[in-house]
Amino acid sequence: MRTFSILFTKELRSFFLSPLAWIVMALFTFLNGWLFAGMINAMRLRVSSRSLVYNLFDSGWFWMGFFILFPLITMRLFAEERKMGTIEGLLTAPVRTAEVILAKYFATVVVYLVIVLPVFLFFPLFQWITGEQAAFQGGALWGTLLGLFLVGLFHVAIGTLASALTANQLIAAMLTFVFVMLHYFLGFMERFGLVSGSSWGEGLSYFSTIEHMHSLTEGLIDSRPIVYYLTFAAVLLTVTHHVLESRKWRA
Amino acid sequence: MIQVNHLTKRYAGRTAVDSISFEVEKGEIVGFLGPNGAGKSTTLRILTCFLSASEGTARVAGYDTYEDSIKVRQHVGYMPENVPLYPDMRVVEYLQFRARLKGLRYKEARRAVAEAMDICSLTEVDHKIIATLSKGYKQRVGLADALVNKPDLLILDEPTNGLDPNQIRQSRDLIKRLGERHTILISTHILSEVEMTCGRVVIIDKGNIKACDTPQNLIRRLRRPGEIMLEMQGDGEAAAKKIGKLEGVKSVKKTESGNQWVTLLIHTDPNIDAREDVFNLVTKSGWKIRELASRAASLEDAFVDIVQRPGELTKKEVADAGS
Repeated sequence: MRTFSILFTKELRSFFLSPLAWIVMALFTFLNGWLFAGMINAMRLRVSSRSLVYNLFDSGWFWMGFFILFPLITMRLFAEERKMGTIEGLLTAPVRTAEVILAKYFATVVVYLVIVLPVFLFFPLFQWITGEQAAFQGGALWGTLLGLFLVGLFHVAIGTLASALTANQLIAAMLTFVFVMLHYFLGFMERFGLVSGSSWGEGLSYFSTIEHMHSLTEGLIDSRPIVYYLTFAAVLLTVTHHVLESRKWRA
Repeated sequence: MIQVNHLTKRYAGRTAVDSISFEVEKGEIVGFLGPNGAGKSTTLRILTCFLSASEGTARVAGYDTYEDSIKVRQHVGYMPENVPLYPDMRVVEYLQFRARLKGLRYKEARRAVAEAMDICSLTEVDHKIIATLSKGYKQRVGLADALVNKPDLLILDEPTNGLDPNQIRQSRDLIKRLGERHTILISTHILSEVEMTCGRVVIIDKGNIKACDTPQNLIRRLRRPGEIMLEMQGDGEAAAKKIGKLEGVKSVKKTESGNQWVTLLIHTDPNIDAREDVFNLVTKSGWKIRELASRAASLEDAFVDIVQRPGELTKKEVADAGS
């Protein structure tokens, strides 16, 4: 645990000391603010039966940002260490490979949460400025927060594995981008009519992040997405561990 | 401190290290020499648990590098080739991070870092960002990192790589001082450095150990003809002819001349000292001598002789090398 906290602090520190973190955070908050404003305008022009929280997190535009966010915050995790050779110093210190992976992983999850959390400030801020009820309830926001946390755990695990597979940050970013996007669109196969009406379509909808978010944004805590994301994150981190350990047997 | 037994490492289709065996006793400074691609770094990486062996065993401080990897790493300070460091950190910050990672408590780490910086003369750059340091300082940061937790064994892979002659000398002095407290296994290309710092040398080539002995014994065993340098005034051609007829002289080569002074390189049979005969001949002929010296063989000569020796080693030679 001690080693974990040393590595965790070092990762967080190096991330927030780089301009990338602040640029990504500013960009993400700006784009989501713009989306939030657009959503309010749309709801003012057309009556919606859904809440603002539901509509915002159901929007494809919100998830598009994630295609870029996850590659950016995970690409350097191991790829940079391998490129600079610092992985040799790290893995010849008396630390377990699993501690290194978990420290880097959870530090990135924290970075992700810091980047995403400002979105949740929009709602009380809107209410405070306008004095209007923003059509949201605490339960819906907590559910959404849980949903985004789970999505973060899963997608950061994808990025961690991609970064362990290569010494090239760009390739790691591309791999993460492709897998995050594929996972997102997996749930849309039925909507696009690619597997319409079949049991395949129904099955694929279980993988759909948007489907998972629908219940969570309404404040319903379903155990299925919790098990789904935690299991996949654990599997991906186990594979990352094997990838790094297998290096000992290669070059 | 180190026991390597029939260690083999195979990469896809290539054997980098082929069943090597050697030992390093506590308190020794041992040079690990070999041409590029000989298997030096691979062996060091196995000893530091960065790689696993395909066959054979390696024990460090009594622990197996595969079975007790964490224990081994607690006893080893390793400075990898090219000294990889985090460029965005300050020197003191980096060393504290490394000290804590190696198991030192916060206060212990602060004390140990101050001591390591003092030993490696880093105090004046302690708050500088590593990326802004010169190559020499970066090497010292790498060395301070290796010794910060006072390990029993220091493994240094090319610690003077890319340094200027002045920095190499400073680094050599530092390694000598460290040898008083630590067992050191050092891999390097600079043989004069090994000759001056190491008590014993292991020479590896193409994954096999070719020699394992003190630098002095390796030089003594050198199968190289003797070489005498003569600088004289007079008829160089005639002198070369006369000297060539002396007993034990194999060849005479006129290398340079100017201002009536001629330099001759005289090659003799091994273990024959022809200096007295040459002196007598030159003075009897009425020529003047400015310098007459036997060129001593160096570890470099021994290294080249061992590595370029044609053919495979005999079984006895391999056994001798490993013992």
